[in-house]
Amino acid sequence: MTLRSLWHKSPFYFFIPTLLIAFVLLLLLSYTIKLEEQIGRKLFTISTSDLFKITQNCALQVENLLHEQQDYVEALKNDVTLQRRVESYLKTLLTPNIKYAYLVYKDDRGIFRFLSDASNKEDKAMINQKLDVESPEWFRIYEEKRPVIIHHTLLHQLSLTYLLPIQYDHQVQLVLAIDFSIQKIEEVNYVLAILKRGIVGIMVIIGVILFFLILQAIRLKDIRKNSFIDKLTGVYNRNYLQHYQDLIQLDDYIIAALDIDYFKKINDTYGHDSGDQVLTQIAQTLLTSTREKEDIVIRYGGEEFLILARMQKNDPSTPLNIVEKLFSTIQNTRFVLPSNESIQLSVSIGVNLVPQKSRTFQEAFKLADVALYNAKSKGRNTIEIYDESGHKDQRGHLSLAEIKAAIEEDRLTCYYQKIIDVETAQISHYEALLRLFDHENRIVTPDKILPSIQGTFLLRNITQKVLGVCYQQLRLHPKLCINVNLNPQDIIDETILSLLKTYAQDPLIAKRLGLELVETEDLVRKEKAKENLTMLKRLGYQIFIDDFGSGYSNFIYLAELKPDFIKIDGSIIQKILTDTISFLLVKNIVTFAKEAGIQVIAEYVSDEGICEQIRDLGIRYAQGFFFSRPESASSLCY
Amino acid sequence: MDFLMKHVIIISLLAIFTYADNYTFLVKPYQKEIELEAKIIAEIAASSLNEPLRLFIPEMSKLEKSVYAQYATLSATCEDANFIFINKNIDANSICHAKNTLYFTNNYRKLLSDERYFGAFFWNKSRPNIVFIQRRLQARHIHLPSSFEQFIESIE
Repeated sequence: MTLRSLWHKSPFYFFIPTLLIAFVLLLLLSYTIKLEEQIGRKLFTISTSDLFKITQNCALQVENLLHEQQDYVEALKNDVTLQRRVESYLKTLLTPNIKYAYLVYKDDRGIFRFLSDASNKEDKAMINQKLDVESPEWFRIYEEKRPVIIHHTLLHQLSLTYLLPIQYDHQVQLVLAIDFSIQKIEEVNYVLAILKRGIVGIMVIIGVILFFLILQAIRLKDIRKNSFIDKLTGVYNRNYLQHYQDLIQLDDYIIAALDIDYFKKINDTYGHDSGDQVLTQIAQTLLTSTREKEDIVIRYGGEEFLILARMQKNDPSTPLNIVEKLFSTIQNTRFVLPSNESIQLSVSIGVNLVPQKSRTFQEAFKLADVALYNAKSKGRNTIEIYDESGHKDQRGHLSLAEIKAAIEEDRLTCYYQKIIDVETAQISHYEALLRLFDHENRIVTPDKILPSIQGTFLLRNITQKVLGVCYQQLRLHPKLCINVNLNPQDIIDETILSLLKTYAQDPLIAKRLGLELVETEDLVRKEKAKENLTMLKRLGYQIFIDDFGSGYSNFIYLAELKPDFIKIDGSIIQKILTDTISFLLVKNIVTFAKEAGIQVIAEYVSDEGICEQIRDLGIRYAQGFFFSRPESASSLCY
Repeated sequence: MDFLMKHVIIISLLAIFTYADNYTFLVKPYQKEIELEAKIIAEIAASSLNEPLRLFIPEMSKLEKSVYAQYATLSATCEDANFIFINKNIDANSICHAKNTLYFTNNYRKLLSDERYFGAFFWNKSRPNIVFIQRRLQARHIHLPSSFEQFIESIE
């Protein structure tokens, strides 16, 4: 991806170089400060080194002059000729920059006193005149016996003082001092200031340019943001898709193309204002039905919307459920027109569940569009799913599209297996078992259907279908009792509950329709599920706990759920003759169930031996190949 | 445009404040030196006198007046003062000669040559210097605190 394309993708990419430049500027500033110090030091050295050298020569001359004397101080105090010669040496040091040059000594009281002064008459100090020194540095020279430089910060007219020791017998006898006027340092500082201002000026200019660039970037971001939003509906528009389609991770989303059915008629009948209002309301419905941070809603064309629903690793069914949710929400919403009339609408949706199989977003989108076209071809008001093959996977599971097609094409049916009262050898109930006819009219069993649709709305649709089939059988045959298998989600699904409530309006139906549920953690932990089960029992339905003894089985929760029947899991029953543990388990379940007033059904009774055993254990009801295999509705005995 | 102008003004002000140290010409000249001098003279005078200070400085400028007034009670006339600081090159004889008045100069040579002065505060090699003459202190019964010890000279 080129820089230009990055810039076009997002202003964010502009901020990174901006931050980098700001960082570099800060570094430059810190370097400049150090550079300024270094240049200052260098300029100081350049401008003073010669003077220091000359002063050292002068000190040497004074030392040579006095070297024959044992006491330099007394010699100078007493010898006027010597004083004049020393003064003449000192006078050679005076320049516009060296304001004072003088020779001092420290007396017994630690007070500095003049011995010679090169100043003119008015300023000249007298011999032995006291000099109040402003810094303890003056005393350091007597310890270190080396030249000392004192920088003045308080004195107005002096910038620094250079002190040189004049020694006799390794003892400092005299101190030659020169005071620099502030002129020299001012010259150095002036050069530094020019340099500093130049750098600061450049940095300010760069800063100002950066500031305006950032302002422009923010404005550009706002403009771009606005250009990505559809003004009518407030959702993203086609520009957004064009800009970001290359950045969309196809692994992360399913793509749903949505089209409002017969939208042209709305425009033609109610006018364009109404059409616009409907579009706005549809968009709002889509936004409220999708997840704000995960999903993306785009108005792709006039009445076409695109929904990118993000997949979650641990819950792959969620995006499809979101699509189904928005589909049913639109179905159940009345859209208000400007004339205050309200209308009902339907939409057609094409879903591509496997965009990751496409090379580009456009390809993936086309497949969703193909599915949308199919949905329209099938008469609209439907969700059409595209998945890659439309065939069974390696384990023989049917695809979602195939299952959905089977539901729509009414290729679902129920087979029924007898549950026998072993005391009377009469049929007590039938268990309805799901069957699907594939395109070659072969029967597909639930183990090939259910894994693909776990957690999706299709599972609920199948439950609805099975309940409908069984309801018809119960209506046709008033003495028939049929059990239907429900999933834990069905117990909290309003559609299923509403259907069961409708059926229960006929009391003769409810008491003959048994609801078989696998005891799962969800079922016993969710208060809502327990409440609904109680409600269904109140409506007259009998509750069967299926596969009891396997998986999540717990006597305490059994007491909480209060089922009418428990069906002991087939895997235990099958081993009842050969495995003592299985036998004891069944025996205990039966004892508990009798105490709790729960009827027991043994599943997978496959031969006479098992049948005899369960009868001996006091199990009244049995089901299995020993009695019958699942058969079609035509073989029902009523 | 308003937005742009606002930012330009803010940036300009920031730049001006950055270089604020260049505008010290707005401060009165030499005020710092006079302040230092005033503090020292007030301290010396207070230490030398056994009564409240009434300071007189001949031909005092307005600036001196305003600065000295912060540290000492100024006397309008020489006669009313108990401490006289002559810091200008004026004829000492034109100054009144009260008996119990202490005289202080800003000139080392005058200090040496004129017995009236018991001490001097002056700028030597651009450094503030203080000198008291021991004999004159004793003659005036002045007992300075030990912190002044280093400034006392036994000049005859």
